[in-house]
Amino acid sequence: MNRLVLLDNEAVQALRDPRHQKHQRVLEKTQILFKRAVRTLSVRVAVPAAVRVEAGWDRTAPAWAFINRFPITDIPLDTGHADAAAGIAKRTGVSVADAHLGAAIKAADADHVTVITSDPGDMRKAAEGRQVDVVVL
Amino acid sequence: MTREEAIDRINELLDSTDPATTNTSMRIPNALREAAALAVSELDVAPSTTVLAANALRMLLEGTVALAALELHYEEYPEFRPSLADLAIAAAELDGSPLAQQPDLLRRAASEIAQRHPDAEPEDVVLWAEARQYAAEEQKRIAAEQKGAA
Repeated sequence: MNRLVLLDNEAVQALRDPRHQKHQRVLEKTQILFKRAVRTLSVRVAVPAAVRVEAGWDRTAPAWAFINRFPITDIPLDTGHADAAAGIAKRTGVSVADAHLGAAIKAADADHVTVITSDPGDMRKAAEGRQVDVVVL
Repeated sequence: MTREEAIDRINELLDSTDPATTNTSMRIPNALREAAALAVSELDVAPSTTVLAANALRMLLEGTVALAALELHYEEYPEFRPSLADLAIAAAELDGSPLAQQPDLLRRAASEIAQRHPDAEPEDVVLWAEARQYAAEEQKRIAAEQKGAA
């Protein structure tokens, strides 16, 4: 059984910045996830490209050195994801980044999809009924 | 090489798109090799034993490096190092356990279990708390039944 864990904008910001008020909370979850990844080899953490853009996560910038140390995979905004995200944004009114999260949830081939987010309402809207575990920061 | 440099270098190597491969002289037990071959041919876990071994090694290295990066971070910012109870709450939240809504119960369970099992994992704490809660509910139910019978 494999699990895909997606991060939203605030989860990314909180992981990057020790001054963020939710830094500790996201570190705790990160520790659990990567311990399980080592133990089970079946946990993957990823971030949709549009979320990275919204968060300002430039992997080449020194300010992002800490978060770059974690194996957080990029989910590209390719043709399929762009089409799906455009539809989600139009139907639900969520932001571009959240729409890309929704597209990633839809396209995921994992047995379980989890989103770590500060906005569970928008995340459920973006998922449009797809089974997703929402973990609130 | 410092640990920090090692982490960054390992990440750089894991991110590499260089398709070059090499025949290694790594020796693995025959039984393990045969088990991997069977998993590939009979259970479709990967297209080949090479892919299976490479993927498993990559995932293990990625997770190990992430945990090493966290450890470095905690050394720099000790105030962020989570307790067993903090991690148990995080585990409950990630697993959608109803106990995530009862952090005080998990904190008590972490404190209890740490006395008996100093190496307990966060998931052990959640299980312990669930068992304690179940036992307490059963006791209540039995007490109510006995009261009703009397």
